[in-house]
Order: sequence, then structure tokens, then C-alpha cells
Amino acid sequence: MKAVFIVYNQALTERVDELLNHIGARGFTQWQDVMGRGSEKGEPHMGTHTWPALNSAILSVVDDDKAEELLAGVDKLNQAAEAQGIRAFLWNVEKSV
Amino acid sequence: MKIYRSAVQRPVTTLMVFVAIVGFGLFSLQDLPIDLYPEIEPPIISVITEYPGASASDIETTVTRPLEDNLSIISDLDEINSVSRDDVSTIVLEFQYGTNLDEAANEIRDVLGRIGPFLPDDAEQPMVFKFSAAMIPVVVLAATADESYPGLAKIIEDRVVNPLQRIEGVGNIMVTGEPVREIQVNVDPEKLDSYGLTVEEVGGVLASENVTRPAGNIKMGLMDYPLRFTGEFEEARFISDLVIGSFNGNNIFVRDVAEVKDTLRELTVEERLNQERGLRLVVQRQSGANTVQIAREILDQLPAIRENLPPDVELLTIVDLSEFIIDAVDNLTNILYFAAIFVTVVVLFFIGRWRATFIIVLTIPVSLVAAFIYLYVTGNSLNIISLSSLTIAMGMVVDDAIVVLENATKHIERGSHPREAALYGTNEVGMAVVASTLTVLAVFLPLTLIPGLIGLFFRQLGFIVAITVSVSTLAALTLTPMLSSRLMAVGGGRSKGFGTKTSAAIERFLENLDNGYESLLNWALGRKRTIFFGAVLIFFASIGLFPLIGTSFMPEADQNRLDASIELPVGLRLEETVKTARVLEQILEEKFPEVDLYSISSGADPTMGIFGAADVGSHTIDMTMRLIPVRERERSVWQLAEALRQELQQFPEIVNFTVETEGGGGMGMGAPVEVEIYGEDFTETGRIARELADRMEAIEGLRDVRLSRGPERPELQVIPDQEKMASFGLNAATVSSAIRNRVDGMTATLFREAGEEYDVVVRHKEDFRESISHIENISVRNQRGELVKLKEFARVEEYFSPPSIERKNRVRYITVSSSLHERSLGDATADISAELDEMDLPEGINVDFGGQIEEQQEAFADLFVLLILSIFLVYVVMAAQFESFRMPAIIMLAVPFAFSGVMLALFITGTELSVISIIGGIILIGIVVKNSIVLIDFTNLMYARGLGVVEAVVTAGRSRLRPVLMTALTTLLAMIPMVLARGEGAEIWAPMAIAVIGGLFFSTLITLIFVPVAYGMFGAKKLKKKKEKEDQAFLRE
Repeated sequence: MKAVFIVYNQALTERVDELLNHIGARGFTQWQDVMGRGSEKGEPHMGTHTWPALNSAILSVVDDDKAEELLAGVDKLNQAAEAQGIRAFLWNVEKSV
Repeated sequence: MKIYRSAVQRPVTTLMVFVAIVGFGLFSLQDLPIDLYPEIEPPIISVITEYPGASASDIETTVTRPLEDNLSIISDLDEINSVSRDDVSTIVLEFQYGTNLDEAANEIRDVLGRIGPFLPDDAEQPMVFKFSAAMIPVVVLAATADESYPGLAKIIEDRVVNPLQRIEGVGNIMVTGEPVREIQVNVDPEKLDSYGLTVEEVGGVLASENVTRPAGNIKMGLMDYPLRFTGEFEEARFISDLVIGSFNGNNIFVRDVAEVKDTLRELTVEERLNQERGLRLVVQRQSGANTVQIAREILDQLPAIRENLPPDVELLTIVDLSEFIIDAVDNLTNILYFAAIFVTVVVLFFIGRWRATFIIVLTIPVSLVAAFIYLYVTGNSLNIISLSSLTIAMGMVVDDAIVVLENATKHIERGSHPREAALYGTNEVGMAVVASTLTVLAVFLPLTLIPGLIGLFFRQLGFIVAITVSVSTLAALTLTPMLSSRLMAVGGGRSKGFGTKTSAAIERFLENLDNGYESLLNWALGRKRTIFFGAVLIFFASIGLFPLIGTSFMPEADQNRLDASIELPVGLRLEETVKTARVLEQILEEKFPEVDLYSISSGADPTMGIFGAADVGSHTIDMTMRLIPVRERERSVWQLAEALRQELQQFPEIVNFTVETEGGGGMGMGAPVEVEIYGEDFTETGRIARELADRMEAIEGLRDVRLSRGPERPELQVIPDQEKMASFGLNAATVSSAIRNRVDGMTATLFREAGEEYDVVVRHKEDFRESISHIENISVRNQRGELVKLKEFARVEEYFSPPSIERKNRVRYITVSSSLHERSLGDATADISAELDEMDLPEGINVDFGGQIEEQQEAFADLFVLLILSIFLVYVVMAAQFESFRMPAIIMLAVPFAFSGVMLALFITGTELSVISIIGGIILIGIVVKNSIVLIDFTNLMYARGLGVVEAVVTAGRSRLRPVLMTALTTLLAMIPMVLARGEGAEIWAPMAIAVIGGLFFSTLITLIFVPVAYGMFGAKKLKKKKEKEDQAFLRE
């Protein structure tokens, strides 16, 4: 079991939803209207007048193989529209009830 | 939930909301009446008091003054004017616009009720009379005839007036110059004297011979018969055979002393139409009825009416108020279509995508149609003001949609799904869009607060633009994102279908434009000071143009109509006046081919009575000329007026004349130039007025200079010697009615034929009422039954009746007025002021400007206040939006240059500064500020994102160049058809379009260079320094 944390520009919401459905990752937790900025060149998404874009974040706990698929999908989305901004982070789930 | 989110998520609902708006708007449009201007009821109430027999000065002291003193306390009263003339006092109360006239009329009646008992006993009850716009004739028809002429009055009454009266909304129909059948018994006073008879006795016999009377009932057998004596004349010629008395045992017949004629009444007015005898029908509408609708219905009925007329009777339209209105409205509608096409082309040019262009342009009908709903609900009409407001709004309604769609497109180009792009794109610019709409509202809503006459006009402009722009913002936040989420294709770039080559060429051109602008900005930012002071210099230089620009109140329109009134020497008899009129007809026929139809009325119709102008009489000629349409003639109405003036100057017998170019469709603004001379002393004010008039004649561009107090009128007075009159056993009543019966005639009885009644009038033969001695020889029967000659107890003298006495705000005054030809009102006023300064005004005499000068001064003052209010409100809105005092100031630096642009445009095109062009200037504030906001907002953004000042300014400039150019060009191009349009009504709106184009063009150039420079100088640097200080303080801690 892996936890995948995806932060993405709100404008990609539909694509990310499609991706999750496509892979069959049913369970997820979503936060809307979250702020952030990239470490290197990612534009701040602050929801302000200066930086109007906003992010959403999804935490989905999936099987290991699905996690890989998910990361590959995110990478594909990022390639297609780099300026939008999408990142995924993956870590182990030690226990769940 | 945010509005654009629901709109995108529920496309059907969104679509239906706008379909409903469009549907209701089109429904409203169908029912909107058409008119020239918004409905204006002049706030005028007159109080007319007749006091037969009193002279002008008696009327003034005993009637006018007490009434004025008491009426002056009525609330909302603006001005109180009065004319005291022989026999009648007319007080005109002018209220502020918007006053409830019913209440005012009630108040007036209350005052009259209180003061009534203190008026002279012989004065009649004062009449309260409300002037209404409905009194302006809607249609004037003329009827001419050859052999049917004698019966024309009856034919017209039965077959024209009656059917027309049945049309709904038609008010009064006045017929002037109609021939009236009259049975004349023209007696020879010498023969009458020799038989010892008088006119009264002849009349008495006629009356007693012409009798039909019920004489009781007769019961015969089973029946009850009413009995009737019928002694009425069966034919008019029987009158000559009546016996009026006996002399030496022989019967005296009417034919022995008089000649009986079945003829037409002597006319005091002669109406001729295109050289033919005829009569004139003036049709007025009922209050509240629509001019165009009524005029159309009347004209529709005419063919049917004509068929019913005898073949020689011709019925022609002299004045049709609806014609100009319909043409002007059609013209503006075309301009509106052209503007829409221009806007579409501009959007397509910049955006380069068919679907995006479609989405943006769709906001035009949606928001403009909302204006129709407003007009319909508030009971307004489709008129010049509302249509030009729509044209102004046209360029503005697409702006918000452009901003939203542009941002959404940017997201799509960066890889978003159209749906998401629409949502987040709208979210990002939503606030900015709303804020810029607020600035527009800050400019246009105050327009609805202007007081007075012009306020009525600009209320519509203000509301229409405010409503359409608000609806367009709503559409930009809902319809535009919804449609772009559905219609926009994934990916980006210009449409391929646009013609790849053209598209690429345009893109290259725009790219070059961006690059060029970028280097220009870099160059300018290197010389901030030079640029700044250069701009300030340009501004002051353009202000220097101000004295060179003429000013006027309202631009005048070529309404295809020319009116001339001509005065011959006072007291001239109609026959002589008519001779001059004939020559004038010849001149019109020969030298004025542009005149399509003309009617000339010589003399005055006494039935027009108190409502007729003061100085019409047998010596005046009134000409109404209808011209061929503007497009079909070379000479404008003003050139024709000038040519006609030159012709009229050739006539030595013409004492005075005026040639007017604005028909009855105008707004009753008075003569362009009116100088009012106040003073109690008639001779002094008269002398000064004449001197001023002489000086004004010499001033360039002034035409038709005239005094309001006409020359004194010659009059014959019969002055009895009271003692002698009494000794002859006569009294004033008997003598005066005897004179009247012999000269004016005595209506003895009525001759009935075919259900109509005609007067039978007994009077002296015309040969016996031609000289003073004829009057002196009038015989009157005294109480002792003797005939006494008038000359035995009275004398006849020629006398000049005193002029009428005019008062304004309870002070006597006289006006010197004139029209203008190719001279601006402002310049003419300055010249007159200079002349007045040279004149030596005695103490107690004041001079003031009235007419359009006064209106102009008041309107300009109001508009100036409005300008300040608009600037203030815009500042307030922006300060709140930017949370800064400095940013709005930088943004508004563009505003003065808008005015520079207006000045330049007016100067170059030679247009006068009028209320209309000032309105153009005020509108500019909104548009210019909006452009400036787009630029500064983005610069702020770039700066906040960490760019340096210069970098931020340049980047923002490059990125915002296209939107700024696009919004400026859409408005500018929407105005161009207004300037270029020729034809009916074009002169009215062109100055506004010229002002907007000039101001917008100039201020856009300045905005693009000067505002960024000013930002570099004052904006960011100061902010940055302050922030740095704070940061350093924090780090030290």
C-alpha cells in the first residue's frame, strides 16, 4: 500500500479525476483551494490578486502497482502542460484500519 | 457557490436566462414607440386674464402686477414672465423640470381664488392654461381647389377633418384660411338715410322674417297635430324681396337700399400653397400619444380620403413631423449595425478565432437588448438619445467578455481543459471586471442626476449605458465562461479557417507591434523627465486651443424645413401684403428649386386669438417651406436660409424678417441670442434696445436682429364728446354697437340650408367704409327717434396704440434677439458683451443674456459640476479597488489628455463645443480610465511578482498592449459611422462622436507612453522604498 499525494493546479481538476478513475483508484481525500509554490520554477498559486491560481490536493492510498501507474499518469499530465503545475509525492503506508 | 461556477455547471439554465432577456427585450422593442427625443413636457403654465377695454398699462397695474405678486410664492417656480397687452394679460409661469404640474396648477388656482375678488370687476375670470408638447402640430395639411373653392370649408370639414378626428390619439384639428359662406346684405348708407332707416332696423326685419316656431297643437278627430309656423328663407335671394318699411305709402324692399350677396366672408388671412389658393389643417396630437404613430396613421388614411374628394381638390402634406424622426432613427439604426460590424472585425482581428469572436460578439445583442426592456418598462421611446447611447455602449459591452475570454484562452493554451480554463480563467479576472464596470457606472450614473432640460436627455444615456454595461458584465461572468467551456477547442492559436496566410500575416503584424511598443517603452523609460514635462506641455498647449473653439448650446439639425416670418409696415392692408407674398412665391419658384413645397399665409387669423403671436396682423407673411431630402440637395438648410435672407433684403417694403431653420420638432429653446434689457422706463429701455440692435446688426454672423416690443401700431379712434353725446340723447353703448354694426357687420340672422347655418350679415357697402369721413357720416338713431351723424358729437383720430408691456420676474424688460449664421454662440456672445460694455447704460437699467446663451451657461455649469463629480467617484471606486491613494492618481493622469484630444479634435474639425460634445468628454473619462486600469493593474501584478520597476512596466505594457488597443478600437470604430453619417439628424450626434474619437485616440497614445512613465516615476519606486525600510527593520530585530 502506498500513499500518493498529488498537488495540482485547480485547472487540472478534471484531468486528475479522470486519471484516478482510469486507474481504478477509488479511495481518496481531497482538499480544495490550497496554496503553494514550486521549489524551482513553479509559479506560486496563492489565490491572490498577484498570484490568482489555486491548487487542489489529493491523497489517495492505493496498491503498489496502481501507485506507479498513478505517478506515470501525473508525469504525463505534467509533460502535456508544464505551465499548469502538477506534482505527486509517494510514501509507504505502514498501517491502516 | 460562485456565479460563474453555477453558470458553467448548468449551461441550460444559463442559456435560458439570456434567452429570456433577449426574448423580453425583443418583445419590448416591438412595442417601443419611435420619437425624436425623450418625451419632454415643458413645465409651463400660463394664466390668461381678459379685461376688455383696458389699455396695456392699465392691465399691467390692475391685473398683471397683483397676479404676479401673488403667484410668485408658488413652489418650484423658476421664472415668471408676463405680457400685458390691450385687453389681455398673459402670465407665463415656468417651473423647474420635473415639477408636478397638476399640483402646480392646483396651487395656481388656489392663489387665483384668493386674489380674484381684488381684480377689477370688469376683468374676466383668469384662465389657467397648461402648455404641452402635444400642441406642436404633428402634421400640417393643405388643401387647394379651383371650382370647389367656395365650398371647400364644408368639404374639408366633412370628408377630411371628421375621418381624421376618428384616429385614436388625434387631438385638435385647426383649419385656417377656410372660406366661409356668408350672406351679405351690403347697405348703401345714403339711401338708408334718405328713407330714415338704420342698419339695426334692416337687421331686425331680416331676423323677424326668418322665423320658424312651434304654434301649439291641434286636435283633429283621433289625431293630435303639432302646429308649426315655418317662415324661414328658403333661398338667400328671397332676402332682397323683403319689405323693410314704407316711405310715402310705398313699400321699401331690401333691394332698394342694399345689395344681397351669397358669397364668402372677407378673409383676414390668405393661405396659398405652391401658388394655389387653399386652406391649412393643423393636426395636434393628444397628450401622451405618439407623434410618429399618429402621423403614420394620418398619412395612411390620406389616399382613401383623397378618393372621396372632388377631382379639383388637392390635399398635400406641408409638415410631417414623423418623416424627420423616422429618417433620423433609421439613420442611427444603420449606424448601430455598422458599429456592430466594426466591433466584430476588430475582435476577430485581434483574437483571430471564429468561435472566440462569436462568444464575445454575442454579448452585444444580449446586453443591448436589455436596454429595450428598460425603455419599455419606464415608458420611454426609441429616440436619438437612446439609440446613440446604444452606439456608445456597443464598444464597451464587449470589453468584459474580451478580458474573460482572453484569460480563459491563456489557460487553454497552457494545457487546461476548456471547462476548467473557463472556470479558473473567470475566477482570476472576475474582480477586475467588476471593478472596471464600477468605474464605468461611476461615470454614467451621475449623468442621471443632471437637472433641467438637458438632464432629461442624459438620464436616458446614463441609465442605458449603466444597464447595458452591467448586463454585459453579468454575461461576461456567466454566458462567456459557459460558452467557452462548450465551444472552445483544446489547444490554441489562431483559427485555421481564417485563411492561414492572412492569419499569419496579422499575427506577425501584431507581434511586430508588441516588439515596437516594447522598445518604445524602454526608450521612454530612459527619459522619464523629458517625457513627463513634454506631456505636461502638450496638455497646456491643447488647453490653449480652448479660446479658439466656438461654443454653442446644442448642435442644430438640418430638418428639411425652413420657416420665414416677414413683417411689412404695420397696418398695411391684406391686399397689399398679398402682393408682396406673390413676388415671394415667384422668387421661391425661380431661385429655390430645393423647396419642394411651400405654403404662404398672409395676414392673421383672428380665431387664433390669444394663442397667436403678439405681432401678427394684416401686415405679416408667414412662409413654411418643405425641402427635398438632405442627400438630394447641394445647399444645406442654413445656406438656403442665408440665400433667402439676401432675397428678402432686396425688398424695400419689408421692415423686418426672420428665417428659421429649426422646425417645430425642436425643444423650444428660444432664439440663439437673446439680450434682455430690464428697466421700468419704456423710452429708456426702448432707446437702449434700439441702439443695441443697431450695434448687433453690425456684428458678424448675427442675423434677423429684432426687438420683442414691436413698433407702435396705428389705430383709428372714435372719441365722443360726452356732453354733446348726452345732449343728443345717445350713450356710449348704443354708439359703439352702431359703429360696429356698420363697419364690422351685424349678424342679423342665420340662413339654414342642408343642415348647415350661415351668417346673414348686414353692414355698410365696402365703398362706404373706406375713409375717415365715411365713419364720421355714420348715422345713429337716438332715443327721440332722430338720426344723428357721428361727426356731430365725436371726432375720429389716428392714434398709435402703446406697445405691449413685457415683464420677467416682475421687472419690465425688452429683449433684443437674433439668429446665428456660421458663427458660434460663444463668439457672438463675447462680441455682444463687448458692445454692451461700450454702451453707456443709465442707472436702473440692467442687461442680461437669455435664450440659448442662458441655457448654455446653465448647462455648461451643470456639466462642469458633473465632470468633477464623475472624476471624484471614479477616484473613490479605484482607490477602494487598489487600496491605495497613489494608484488611482497615476491611472487618472490619462484623463486630462482625453480632454486635450477632445480639444484637438474639435479644433481640427471646426466643431463647436456644445452640450453634446461635453457629454462625449464625460463619457471618455470612463473609457480612458478603464484602459489605464488594465495597464496599471497588470504592471502592479508584475511588480508584485518580483520584477523590477522597468521590467514590470515593459512586460505589462507588452502583455496589455493588445487588450488596450482592442477596447480603444472597438469604442473608436463604433463611433466612426456616427461621424461619417450624412443625412437626417447627423448633425446632432456627430459632435459627440468627434469628441470621443479625438479624446480616445489621443489619450490612448498618451496612456500607452505617459502612464507607464509616470508609474516608473511615482508608483512603484516609492512603494518599494517603504517596503524595504520595513523589511530591514524586521531583519534587525
